[in-house]
Parts: sequence; C-alpha cells; structure tokens
Amino acid sequence: MIIEMKNIRKEFDGLEVLKDISFGVDNGEVVSIIGPSGSGKSTLLRCATFLETIDGGEIVYMGEKAAHTDESGRAVYVHPKELRRFRSYCGLVFQQFNLFPHYSVLKNLTDAPIEVQHRSREEAEATAMELLGKMGIADKAKAYPYQLSGGQQQRVAIARALAMKPQILFFDEPTSALDPELTGEVLKVIRQLAEEKMTMVVVTHEMPFAKAVSNRVIFMDGGVIVEQGDPREVFENPREERTKQFLRVFER
Amino acid sequence: MTLSTMLSTMAAGMLRTCGIFLLTLVGSLPLGMIVALLRKSRFSVVRLLIRAYISVIRGTPLMLQLLVWYFGPYYLFGWSIRGWRFPALIIGFVLNYAAYFAEIYRGGIESIPVGQYEACEVLGYSKSQTFMRIILPQVIKRIMPSVTNEVITLVKDTSLAFTLAYQEVFSLAKQISASQTSFAPFVIAGVFYFIANYAVAFAMERIEKALDYYR
Repeated sequence: MIIEMKNIRKEFDGLEVLKDISFGVDNGEVVSIIGPSGSGKSTLLRCATFLETIDGGEIVYMGEKAAHTDESGRAVYVHPKELRRFRSYCGLVFQQFNLFPHYSVLKNLTDAPIEVQHRSREEAEATAMELLGKMGIADKAKAYPYQLSGGQQQRVAIARALAMKPQILFFDEPTSALDPELTGEVLKVIRQLAEEKMTMVVVTHEMPFAKAVSNRVIFMDGGVIVEQGDPREVFENPREERTKQFLRVFER
Repeated sequence: MTLSTMLSTMAAGMLRTCGIFLLTLVGSLPLGMIVALLRKSRFSVVRLLIRAYISVIRGTPLMLQLLVWYFGPYYLFGWSIRGWRFPALIIGFVLNYAAYFAEIYRGGIESIPVGQYEACEVLGYSKSQTFMRIILPQVIKRIMPSVTNEVITLVKDTSLAFTLAYQEVFSLAKQISASQTSFAPFVIAGVFYFIANYAVAFAMERIEKALDYYR
C-alpha cells in the first residue's frame, strides 16, 4: 500500500465534510473518485496531501504513520520536519494548475527539485526535459505559463508534480477548467501515466475516462464512500440507489 | 546675487533634497516590508501596535510628525541633542513612508492567489522559500504602479523639510526669493523638482518593463 487513510474525519466550522472515510491505494493502482460537488472528494485529496489537517483518523504512507488519533480522540501529526518527508511521497495536480507565472516552464519543473530536494541542476534539468518530452511540450521549456494554452499549462503542472518523483500522484479535477478539446490532451497524458503504472488518484467528472483508465472507482456523497469497486461494476451495475441516481445525470 | 550664484546655491540644496529622498527610500522600502509582515504576526499585541502605528502615521500630517521628531526629545525628555535636525528629519520621513509602503505591500501580498501558496506547500517549499522565491517577486511586479506613485510623492514631500529649517532646495528657494525679492528661485526649484520626478518616472518605467516578461 502506498497510502492508507483510516476513519478520516474532517469538519469545517462544525460541518462534517468527511465522515469516517477509509480507503487505501496499492502500488500501481489508478483510483477515480466521482461524486457530486460538496461530497468531500476534494477535501479528501487535500487531507491526503497535507493541505488540510484531519480532525480524526489515521494517514499512513508506505507503512509509516503520518497522523493518528490519540487517546483523547484528536488527530496528531508527526513533527513538521518529518512531515516534509511524507509530503515528498505525494504530488498534487490542481484544477487551476497553479503554475508559478514568473518562472519559465523549465524553472517551474526544476526549482523545487533543486531548492527543496537539493538535486543538482544538471540532473533536475535532464529530468524536466524528459518529462516535458513525455507531455509533448518539450518545445515550450523556455516559454512562460501565460504563453501556453490551458491544456499545455495543466501538462506542465503534471510534469512539475512528477519532477519531484512522488510515489503517488493526486489529481483534483484536472480538466474542470478546460474546454473539451483541451480536456482530451490532458486525459491522454494521464492515461499514458496509468499505462506506465504510476500510482494515481483522480477526482474527476469525466465518467468515460474514469471507466476506461481506472482500476477502481469510488463514489462519494455527503462525506462518505457510498460505493466502490471495479469501474465496470460501478458504472454498469451500481448497487446503491444514490449511485444510480448520480450516474443517470451523466447518461443524458 | 547673480543668476549663476543663485543656481549653484540651489543646486547644492537640490543635492540635500536628493539626500533626504534616497535615505528615506533606503530606510522605508525594507522597513515597510517588515511592518507589512508584522501586521500579520501571530501575536495580537504586535498586530495591534502595528495597526496603531499605521493609523497614527496616516491620520496626522507629515509636517506635524517632523516637528514632533525634532522637538519631541527636548519637550518630552529635556534632551537637547546636537545635530539632531537631520536625523529627526530622516526618522520622520522613513517612519511615515514605511507605513504607506507597508499598506501597499500588504495589498500586494493579499492579491496573490491562495493556489500559489498551496502549490508551494505541496512541493515542499519552506515558509521563507515560499515567500522569497514565489510570492515576493510576484508582489513586486503587482505593486510597481502604486510604489511609483508614492516615490513621486516623496520627491515633492521632501520640501516639508523646510519646517525644520533644513537647507534643501525648497527652503533655499523661499529664503533667496525673500532676500532678493525675486520670483526666479521658485521657478528654478520647480524645474529641479520636475526634472527629478521625470528621472524617477523614467527609472520606474524601466523597472516595470524589465518585469514585463510574464503576466
């Protein structure tokens, strides 16, 4: 298991957003999380990547506890220095890309590896160029983010996350800010990563993509996992009424 | 008094004006950043003090503040410090401008999308790396127009040094005009200020251009 989240609870101002959620991801697995907005999908990703702190439960990366619940029922994280190591295990791709506008594409990919991971410039640049090549945008290395299309920006963001050599990559609605044409080119690179057995968790509204690419689909609603399993099972034979109801909207 | 002695006397005054100007910038630009950061301090006492400082500075005339710095030590504590005129002047200007710059910086910092911080967090940047490498460069670009405004105002505000009878170009213009019953010193002073601000605007425009490589 790359990551295991057990009995995760999270509330915002008294509103329970995650209610006792447990899930794990195996090495090389691709998991899609689907569900209506406000169901807690993004919050779950943000907890997994330490952008939010959980109120209760346990987060385990590669068998090591990053957070657990103490006797008083409160979630306790490891020391911030330790947490940096856990952070390096996971990457996150945002809906809004969040590239650094003042850095060239290449520098977006090499700055953190050099400054945070203390890798050599040569190595970081070689890795970055290889990743850009894989994303089909090697010719954009010297460009600045504003000169790129949304689809290209998102591919840079994926490459930036991969440049940190994470064990697992999370995607928070990676195509929601893109028009259908650009969505295709981003989904293509994610699919390519899946074929290379990159461990990934993708929060998405792209149902055909989720069905075709993932090994497992999780349907979330109201802060709980309503149903999960093989994508074909979930999409074609959903067991829960709520899942059926949600999927019906997409069939139209 | 010939026109050339008038000019050379006033040029010397203009040098003093430039001195106030440069020292004020050197002091207040960095101090403003410190104030802006302290304004968001974890400690509520610090935040409160900083807010009070900014509000007093903005709520009272700079001319009055200069007088307080100059005469305060004597009237409040009975100290008469030799050569206090110039230090009092610079303290007054620096503390005044730092408050205004702090508010400009704050606006700039708050305008950076939260996604930039989150991207840094996920990539493992430390707090200081996040600020110095990612946030500050973008803040500087965004605040350039407001800073230019403030810097141009400062060139003209240096004339308030006349309240402490410091011999910069404006004080000299007044004195010479009165003693020579001539209007020329004011015209000369006006030309000097205009040239100085023209240079400032030119320099700031160059800096803005240099930051134009991204949006």
